[in-house]
Amino acid sequence: MPETKDSGQKRELTVRLVGVRARTSMNDLLSALQRLLPRQPTEKIRTAMGNLPWTLTRSASVDQAKKIKQFLESRGAVLRITYTQAGGRSSIPPQPQKLVGEQGDPSSMKASVKTEPHAFQGVDRRLKPRIHPGILLQPMGIGDILDRSFYLLQGHFLLFFLIILIPQGAFFLVSKGLQFFLPAQMAQNPTLAMGIGLGISSFLAMIVFFIVQFWAQGALIHAVSETYLGHHTSLGSAYGAIRHRLGRLLGTIFLMGVLMILAPALVGISMAVLFPLLKHMGMSGWPMGLLGAFMGFLAVALFFELFMNWLMADKVVVLEDKAWWSALRRSKELMKSRTEPGFWKRSKMKAALILLLGFLVGIGIHLFLQIPGLLLRFFMPQSPFAATLQQILNMGATSLATVYTAIAMILFYYDIRLRREGFDLRMMAENL
Amino acid sequence: METGKETLKIQTPEQVGFRYELAGLGRRAAAFLLDTAFRFLFLVTLFIFLMLISRWGSALISPERLKESSGTWLLALGVLVYAAVDLGYFILFEGLWSGQTPGKRLQRLRVIRMDGQPIGWTESAIRNILRAVDMLAGFYPLGLIVMFFSHRNQRIGDYASGTVVIIEKRQTVPAGDEAFQVSDKPGVADLEFHLTTLKPEQYRLLKSFLQRRPVLDQEHRKQLARLLAERLRKRWGLPRGEGATHEAFLEEVVRAYERIKRVI
Repeated sequence: MPETKDSGQKRELTVRLVGVRARTSMNDLLSALQRLLPRQPTEKIRTAMGNLPWTLTRSASVDQAKKIKQFLESRGAVLRITYTQAGGRSSIPPQPQKLVGEQGDPSSMKASVKTEPHAFQGVDRRLKPRIHPGILLQPMGIGDILDRSFYLLQGHFLLFFLIILIPQGAFFLVSKGLQFFLPAQMAQNPTLAMGIGLGISSFLAMIVFFIVQFWAQGALIHAVSETYLGHHTSLGSAYGAIRHRLGRLLGTIFLMGVLMILAPALVGISMAVLFPLLKHMGMSGWPMGLLGAFMGFLAVALFFELFMNWLMADKVVVLEDKAWWSALRRSKELMKSRTEPGFWKRSKMKAALILLLGFLVGIGIHLFLQIPGLLLRFFMPQSPFAATLQQILNMGATSLATVYTAIAMILFYYDIRLRREGFDLRMMAENL
Repeated sequence: METGKETLKIQTPEQVGFRYELAGLGRRAAAFLLDTAFRFLFLVTLFIFLMLISRWGSALISPERLKESSGTWLLALGVLVYAAVDLGYFILFEGLWSGQTPGKRLQRLRVIRMDGQPIGWTESAIRNILRAVDMLAGFYPLGLIVMFFSHRNQRIGDYASGTVVIIEKRQTVPAGDEAFQVSDKPGVADLEFHLTTLKPEQYRLLKSFLQRRPVLDQEHRKQLARLLAERLRKRWGLPRGEGATHEAFLEEVVRAYERIKRVI
């Protein structure tokens, strides 16, 4: 952090917007810049964003620079702040006083700046192109997506497998521990208090399991994305990258789950209301059966429609930093896009085929890993070791099958973006 | 580093090198599913045909005799036909079509020998008889695991017969009303001067954009065109263009580049 005073004289700072973090919403950043620079026409700001680096101001005080930095970096901008050279002039006067109310008191800003000791030095690591130069991204067919998923899994097996195995393993260990430590007295003479206590603790354990499970899901999305784009990542960094988005991810998945259950439930409720009414009006026999079948089909179709629409929601949260309804809307937008002509090449059809193939591969993995456990149970039916081994193998099989399909779906997300938004072209164009 | 292209390199005795792209689990699973669907359709057709034959035959043969023998015979015939279709389908097609089945053909896959030669009846028979081991109660549990640890994505049948499954390459260009067409129209003189600094990969980027633009979302298409055009204009010190002219400018750049390269 440069000093503000040099030989008792205040020095001015130049604030430059030098880059944008990967997966930043350009619209969010644009609106942030519009708020910062209200006198600048939107088109001019947009043009300047396309021609980085962009000098925002050459005459900022340290406080102003801090506020601008905090405000814009929270929106995904990468700033560089240097001392203004003699004779330099401000191209755009900053108006940071507008931000004070929104960003909290200066002391918190100070703390936040302190945590980034290299914020003012050199080029930020995030300025590197997000796609590794050696990586060739191009639109893929379903076969290519599944092949690529297979290669990614082969190349980073331990990383991906461990990411998914952690919640499963933790759950397994906790359940085994409970079995082991549960007092025999409790099992033989259970009381109401014991039952309530066990129920509450199981409920809490289940919530914790779901949180860790979705955390792992987010970490897997991050890890697959990084490796697909040619970057290295680790177990810790994959989990760490999701830590700040965990709330948004959980919220979005919760919202999605509620809506997916609610919509078919509404059909069910309407059936429950409609049927006695129709029966009262004298309707019975096959028309009633036909209507029931139609309503049942409608409920299932609605569930699948919503499921397919929001299949990309978790990827959107992790990779585009959107959440809640906007993540669901974005997912629907991606899944509805027509990137290729033909019924079988619709995004939803492709996704369904990928899920089907992933499911079949999953069955194959399950079958293979079930064999040793089944053989052991056959030869040692009463052995607790055989039962435990079978459980462990089941867990491994579930993790493996989940990982493969999840990787394929993440690559499919990128494929839609490549086809629809020219994601690869944009990344390459940035380096033109 | 991931390159996404797992390849098999073959050097012939004449020192000619070939590179084949190996098929992974996904394409092979998709091809197998397609083949399963074809076999199922064939069996259903055959079943309907046999039913018709049996009804027609019952008119010729006395009902008592038919009752005595039909159950056993039909069962035996059914098992035989199923086995013949299940095994024969792959052996027959791979033998006749130089390593392709209808499913593989649709997925652009081909089975070849490790030396790059097309497979014959023997290789086809070995790899498909051993399919039963790979499948082991269905869904290829053993085949999947062996493939996962194989450097060339081979299953047991492939190892035994010395074959690999490769992806056949076909050059395709996205078609569309607005897909870019090369024109012989003369371009702007100073643009041609700047084109000497345009690298082949940059040309490929521009060309790729022009080819893929019909399927791009309108908003992203505009943004990309502006980004590409402005980057080039800035680099070459050309005046900035307006909205609709960005794509025209990029078309002009690509046309001029292709014209120059053709002349060279």
